[in-house]
Amino acid sequence: MRQLGRKPAIITVKRGLALSKSYVVFAIFFASVAILTANFGNAFLRGVPGNSDVYVGTSLSLLSVPLTAIAAVMLTTSVILLYVYDKNNGVLEYFLSLGMNQEDIYKRYLKAGVILVLLLMAGVAVANVAVGLVLRGGVTLPLVATGVATALALSIVSFDTMAMMTFSLLQKPRAGANQPLGLALGGLLVLPAYLTAFILPGIVAVAVDLAEAVIIAALSIALLLLSSRLISREKLLP
Amino acid sequence: MHTLELHNVNSGYNKKTVLHDVSLTIQEPSIYVVLGPNGAGKTTLFRTIAGILEPYSGEVVFDGENVASSRDVRKRINYLSHYNAIPEEMTVYNALTFYANMQGGSADEVLELLHLQELRDKKIYDLSQGQKKRVSVAKVFLQERDLYLIDEPTSNLDPGYSKEIRDILMKLSKDRIVLYSTHNLYEANDIGTNLILIKNGTIALSEKIANIKLREYRVGIRTSTDISKIVDAKKGEQGYYVVSVSSPEEAGRILKTLIEHGVLVTEMRQLENPLQELYETA
Repeated sequence: MRQLGRKPAIITVKRGLALSKSYVVFAIFFASVAILTANFGNAFLRGVPGNSDVYVGTSLSLLSVPLTAIAAVMLTTSVILLYVYDKNNGVLEYFLSLGMNQEDIYKRYLKAGVILVLLLMAGVAVANVAVGLVLRGGVTLPLVATGVATALALSIVSFDTMAMMTFSLLQKPRAGANQPLGLALGGLLVLPAYLTAFILPGIVAVAVDLAEAVIIAALSIALLLLSSRLISREKLLP
Repeated sequence: MHTLELHNVNSGYNKKTVLHDVSLTIQEPSIYVVLGPNGAGKTTLFRTIAGILEPYSGEVVFDGENVASSRDVRKRINYLSHYNAIPEEMTVYNALTFYANMQGGSADEVLELLHLQELRDKKIYDLSQGQKKRVSVAKVFLQERDLYLIDEPTSNLDPGYSKEIRDILMKLSKDRIVLYSTHNLYEANDIGTNLILIKNGTIALSEKIANIKLREYRVGIRTSTDISKIVDAKKGEQGYYVVSVSSPEEAGRILKTLIEHGVLVTEMRQLENPLQELYETA
């Protein structure tokens, strides 16, 4: 029989993945497209000029940044959905009754989201090196793209998770959608990275993406610092 | 000996007060039945005592420690919500192990205690509502604690399992305080020694059930003799002769009279639950 581990965040990761397998499939699909995009551009279209100082190969490689970030958002959706599910099922209320505080509880889900992002990014990095070596296009640009994607994904996932837990409005499904509204927030925050890849020269695009990651990370930290005031215990009740 | 004190507690949700200035002291280990209509504030009372809700004002103190601010004292309280609060994607054993890892105790022991072994490897979402409730109740017995807050534990359960749970709680109540909420008045009368009646977010009555006096008792007497000529009785519901008395002692006197007249009484019982009147007027 499969035994449960004792580390709360790892258990949360396992529970989330078990509950929303379709998101795992979507995440793997987007990550695979991102790996192929990063390496195809780098191997076959390097030095092909686009408009102004933008090179087609670099743009394609950097397109892997938002694709990888969206894969991370999809993967961590399972944890966010688990939070909503546990809240509605009374599990979070029971956690509180065991002596946990609201901080203990939301950090458990936040950590689970971060673990999932890091696992995905480690996999993407390894795959980028492997594909880069096979295609003989070099691994520097795909790895830089993975690094930028990691920064962006970590900040977006942290912000999205905190925002969903803080504002119960984001936990509710809205007209026509059967998923909580907050999930759209992650997708929205990834959008600028699609544009920067195609309209800005490589180094500038990387700088803008990193700047976005820093701003979103700052917002996440602000939410985290204010969380004990913003997330009252009653917000965790069904 | 443990002491639970509520001092002028105001508590609720979204700044809307549900409990109004509730004060209560409980010292004697026993089962305290918490009764009241829907929306009276029973669950809010339990959540506030458990430290899940922080009171807007006033304080809940258990054994001298403020529950809202002390994590340690909250770890000495077991709370059963009327939500199942079990991860439905897990098997019964894994769900109980999940909580045992957090709060202590052994899943195997509690499976045995509540005779849940045959469900051990079943997924929670495959269980019936009653089976889910049994697993939900089981998690509260993983580890013994000093104060039990049990909100409607026997809803969806058949009589056999309900009795099993009541028996465990009665055993625990010998040296612990158990607050027990139910809508089943017969169960309340059966299990409880004390009653806490909640009305509109206030405690309308806190009293030993034995001391609760009703305006009128209706007693059913089963006999083959027409006793309406001996006592003021009318043939009524379920084949009983029904007598209205003002106290249990008067019922005893009627029985004595019937025996003196040579009447063979095969059954004599109180027709209404003594808590019914309180509940209806709450």
